[in-house]
Order: sequence, then C-alpha cells, then structure tokens
Amino acid sequence: MGRRGSASSSSSLESSNYPALSSRSSLYQHNRDLSTDLRLGLSIATSSQGNPSTPSVSESDWPPIKPFLKETLAAEENECNSATFFVKVYMEGIPIGRKLDLLAHDGYHNLIRTLDHMFNTNYLLRAEMDGEHSEQYHVLTYEDKEGDWLMVGDVPWEMFLSSVRRLKITRADI
Amino acid sequence: MLRMASSFPEEVLEHVFSFIYDDKDRNAISMVCKSWYEIERWCRRRIFVGNCYAVSPPMVIRRFPEVRSVELKGKPHFADFNLVPEGWGGYVYPWIAAMATAYPWLEEIRLKRMVVTDEALELIAKSFKNFKVLVLSSCEGFSTDGLAAIAANCRNLKELDLRESEVDDLSGHWLSHFPDSYTSLVSLNISCLGSEVSFSALERLVGRCPNLRTLRLNRAVPLDRLANILCRAPQLVELGTGTYSAELQPDVFSSLAGAFSGCKELRSLSGFWDAVPGYLPAIYPICPSLTSLNLSYATIQSTDLTKLVSQCQSLQRLWVLDYIEDIGLEALAAFCKDLRELRVFPSEPFAQEPNVSLTEQGLVSVSEGCPKLHSVLYFCRQMTNDALATIARNRPNMTRFRLCIIEPRAPDYITLQPLDDGFGAIVEHCKDLQRLSMAGLLTDRVFEHIGNHAKKLEMLSVAFAGDSDLGLHHVLSGCENLRKLEIRDCPFGDKALLVNAAKLETMRSLWMSSCSVSFGACKLLGQKIPRLNVEVMDERGPPGSRPESCPVEKLYIYRTVAGPRFDMPGFVWTMDEDSALRLS
Repeated sequence: MGRRGSASSSSSLESSNYPALSSRSSLYQHNRDLSTDLRLGLSIATSSQGNPSTPSVSESDWPPIKPFLKETLAAEENECNSATFFVKVYMEGIPIGRKLDLLAHDGYHNLIRTLDHMFNTNYLLRAEMDGEHSEQYHVLTYEDKEGDWLMVGDVPWEMFLSSVRRLKITRADI
Repeated sequence: MLRMASSFPEEVLEHVFSFIYDDKDRNAISMVCKSWYEIERWCRRRIFVGNCYAVSPPMVIRRFPEVRSVELKGKPHFADFNLVPEGWGGYVYPWIAAMATAYPWLEEIRLKRMVVTDEALELIAKSFKNFKVLVLSSCEGFSTDGLAAIAANCRNLKELDLRESEVDDLSGHWLSHFPDSYTSLVSLNISCLGSEVSFSALERLVGRCPNLRTLRLNRAVPLDRLANILCRAPQLVELGTGTYSAELQPDVFSSLAGAFSGCKELRSLSGFWDAVPGYLPAIYPICPSLTSLNLSYATIQSTDLTKLVSQCQSLQRLWVLDYIEDIGLEALAAFCKDLRELRVFPSEPFAQEPNVSLTEQGLVSVSEGCPKLHSVLYFCRQMTNDALATIARNRPNMTRFRLCIIEPRAPDYITLQPLDDGFGAIVEHCKDLQRLSMAGLLTDRVFEHIGNHAKKLEMLSVAFAGDSDLGLHHVLSGCENLRKLEIRDCPFGDKALLVNAAKLETMRSLWMSSCSVSFGACKLLGQKIPRLNVEVMDERGPPGSRPESCPVEKLYIYRTVAGPRFDMPGFVWTMDEDSALRLS
C-alpha cells in the first residue's frame, strides 16, 4: 500500500498531524494480531470435546452472521461429530466382550490400533503370515447383516460400516 | 394563497390525506401550514420510529393522538453480531405503558431489536381491545408465558410473528391458549421457538382459521405431521416447514407430495432444517410457482440444490447456504430470470479453508443472468476487483450490495491489490445504491470513491478498512443521503468526526467500535451538539478514569429530541454537558 496521491492532500486530515492516532504501521500490526485472534476465536476453548479450532459460537462477532444461523450450523457440526455406532467385540476364549464405537474411527487402520490396545494383542487383517508365526496372531472377523462371518478388511470402510453387526477375534489357525 | 389553503373544509382535507401513507409525504404535508399540520396530526394512523431513543413516548402521543399502528426499532444493527453488550437498552415497556392509556384502539405493534418482557406482552393483551398484529423481530426478554397471554386475550389477532426472536421457551403449551372460538389468524411465525407445541392444538388452530396465509413452523414439528397440517390449510401462501428429515418411507412421501400439490397458492417456502434430499421431490410440483425460497438451514449439497432451483422459474428471492456452489449459481442464472434478491450464507463460517467451491464467479454469473437482481448478500472467501467491476457493469440497478469475505482484509486474490477499485466500480455504476457493506483489503481510496459517487447511499457498513481519518471524512462529507453508518475495527479517530459534527445530526445513527476515537472527542461532541446523544460503552470502567486521549471501546451516536436517556447499564455513559462535568 503506497501513500495517498496528492489530490487528497488539500484536506488537512493527514493522520501524521494527529499524534493521538497510532502510526499506520503499528496499527496494521495490531490489527493483524486481532485478525489472528478472530480466527482462533475470542474465547479460550477449554473443553476437550468439539473442534478446538472452532471458536465459542455464541461469543464470536466475526464473520457477521446472526445467532440463529450460527447455532444451527454449529449444531449440525456437533451432530456429525457425536453420532456413534457401538458394536460388541469378543475375543475367542474370553466370555466377557467389549464394546467399540466404529464411528470414532476413520478406517481399518485406526480400528486395528484400538483393538490392539483393548485386547493387548496383535492382529492380522488377512491371514497373510506364513505358517511358523501363525500362532502369534489373531484374525479379526465380523458378522454381517445376513448372519455370515467374514474377514474384516475386504470391502471399503463405508460398506463395512453399513453391514457390520459385531466383531470377533479368533486365532489364525482355525 | 393562504386563503385557498384554508378554504377546503377539514373533512375534505382529512379525506385527501387518508390516501397518503408514506411518512415522508405526511411529514411534507404537515409543514405546509399550521392548519394542515393540525389536520394531519389528528389523522396520522401509522408511526415509524427508527430509533426508540430518538423521541419519547409522551412526545409521540402528544403530537399524534389517534395512532393505530406503531413500529419501533431499538438496538443498533451490530447487535445482531454480538457487538452490543447485554443490557444496553431498547426496552419497550415504557412505550407500551404510555400507549395503553393513550391508544386504546391500537391495532398493530411491530418491534425490531427491542427488549420485550412478559409484563409488556400481558399489558398489550389487556389494553388493546382491537389488537391485530404483533411482530417481534430479533427481540428478546420474554417467555412463552407472555405469548400465552396474547393467545388467550387477543380475540381479533391476525398476525403473530416472532421472527428470529430469542424466547425463553418454557413449553409449547402456550399455543393451546388460543380459544376454540378464535378463528381470525392470518399469519403465524413461530420458527424461532425450540419447544414442541401440541400438534393436535396446532392442527385444530390451522383447521379453524380459513384466512391463514402464512404459517412458519418451528424445527420441532416433524416431517410426518406436515402433510396433515397442509391438508387443513390448502389456501396457504407462505409456509415454513419444521424439520425436513425422516426415514424415507413411500407413504410419508406420497402424502407429503400430495399435500404440497394441493396448496395451489403456495409462493414462499422456508424451514427445511436437516433437509434430506430424498424428500425434496415432494415440493417439485409447486416449484414453478415459488417466488421466495429460504434454504438457509438446509444442509443439502450442490447437486440437489441445483436440481431444485432449476425448477423455480418464477423465483424472486433465494436465501441459501454456500453449498449451492458456483455451479448451482450458474443454474440459478440460467433458469431464474425473475430473481431480485440473493443471499448466500457460509456453511462453515469459522473454518479457515474453503469447504465448498463457491467463489466470486458464482456471483458474477448471477449478475449476468438475472436482469432484475438488485439485492445481494454474499459470503465468500475470495474476490477480485475485476469481478466486482463486472458485477457493477452488469447490474447498475443494484440497490443493496453486501459482501463479506470471511478473512478480514483479504486482497484481490489474483493481483493482491486492495479491493478499492472494485467497490469504486460498484458505487460508480449503481447510482441508486441505498445500502452497502464492504469487505476485504480497503484503503482510504475506496472511501473517496464512495464520497464522490454514492449519492443515494443510506446505510454503510465498514469493517477492517481504511488507513486514516481521511476515509471517514470522505464518507461523512460526500454521502448526502447517509442515515446509518456502522464501523468496526478501522483506524478512524477524532478529526473526521469533529470536522463533520453537523452531519451527525442529519443521520439516524453512527456506530464505531474498536476504532480510535478518544474520550475527549466524545465529550466535545456531546457538549457541542445538544440534540445528539453520544453514548460511550466501555467495559473497562468509567472513561474518566483513563486519559482523555484514550480511545473508547464503543461509540454510538444518534440524533434525538428526547435528551439523554436514563435507562443505561453501568458500562454506558452519555456525553452531555452534565455528564461531562461529572466524569472529569
């Protein structure tokens, strides 16, 4: 941004005449920081739920949208974030099962990781390992809408979500 | 000449005046001579007060003793965006109390951004025997108990419209307070309410009111009840659905589609919360005759939106989320040649990255394809000077142009220049522009363009723009018809305000927040100009406790003949002679 052209200098309203006003560069700096504040939200997000980069909806004043729209959009987002789909998971040999929220995972990789932690063991999505090591691994299977037991991982994640009813972890050497 | 003016009997003049509705015309009539002033004031039936603090209830009542319809506005516009602190003011009770005795035949009350209490609603219900119209737009402070009082007592009520008000929603039971004998409902808008109203009470109410034209339901009304309601009101002209989502069931769909087809007069649709695409075809039969469509709450994607708008060849007004994308706007431009107003809202206003493909191109397409387009509100994430100039050349008939670029101070994303020239083109070509909201990186130059060209401009909104007082000076000295100016986060200080102090008395109001106006300048303005209220809002404490050169947080200046108000909260100070002495 350059200085203003001389055509406007006939007016005596040059900011440099008025020490009460901050100089332009420092004002720009200040305003730069302010816009960062605006992006991050005017309130400190303390809760761990919800998107931390979303400012407190009710307190923000930019962009200029009315409260009803803001609340509706925020509610839509929260609804997407809070939908759940819990399925039972049994480990072969252990009568007490666990429950797992499939929608809290975005794919097979995450699912395996969670199951790893839950049951403290290793998994195989497909029985790819050769014979010598097979007793160390388990296989993850699922029951589908038709009551059939299938290997987890063959179909795309979304398709899996729409047909899975429950999960079972069995030893590889069945 | 004088003799001619008084040679008509009063009754004749009164009869002639009864055909004049416009306030400006009535004001002009009242200034012709004393007798015309007298006759006019006795037959003025409708009052509009754009700022409830500009005049006091006794003053209005004294001049206009036979009023039937009152419209009042309270808080400044920026209150919509949380910029006006809670408790600022705008209380309607003193007005209702004064009118309860002075206007027993009052029929209509329309309020915007005011604080309305249950006491006020109860007083309305009790005091006005022929009460017909209550419109509460963006109001707050009342509960469903107050609504129950209105429903129970106002026998002749025709219109109850709560648009966008914040209601303390204790229960939906209030609707059942309309007696069985009540049949005069013409318009009901409860879209802002959260609670469920009794569906059977709603259906019976709708069924027994043959003149019902407008029905805006709230989200709590499920989709599978909508068909029943519509079947009882096939004469409806305007409908707001409740939640537009349900499991796809053929019988629900077919009764809904049938119900919509039966509403031959339906011209305006809104609601559509949680809309599922599967149920959209239910409205296809009436799309060709729709003139107004509000999809601001419908989170449906571009393909479905495009298909929908392509069938609405009579559409004049569209409010939609940016899910419509450029591609949907191109379809709009191609099929909706009667379009006059477009509003596009951001679906993810707080996200940094764009989530949809909506750019300046969409707006350019609509400006090209829709010759009657004159009112625009557009949220986007990028803009260019070229696009703005194209829009300006395409649509010299533009009267309201409000652009918001999500990122403050965003430059032309191709040239990286400020958007001064683009907005300059807008004000140059659109000679009838009445309202303008600007966005993006803007220097003092854009204000020079505005001051030079925007001669019909009445309302200007500015945020994160300008370099110096020169910007503000251009606007205040150049815009002859300016009535409302609202500014936030701009480097404008004392000088432009003080030099143009007289201009402030010709405007309704000026709002400035996060600018550089000093406390000293505010005091000076308040003292110099008695018919201005200069209100300083500062939540840091009394402005007198800081140096005079310290900028105030928020400043609201408005002209008034009622003097300073006394209903201010602790963080608002009026600068006038007395308070200036008290504070120094």
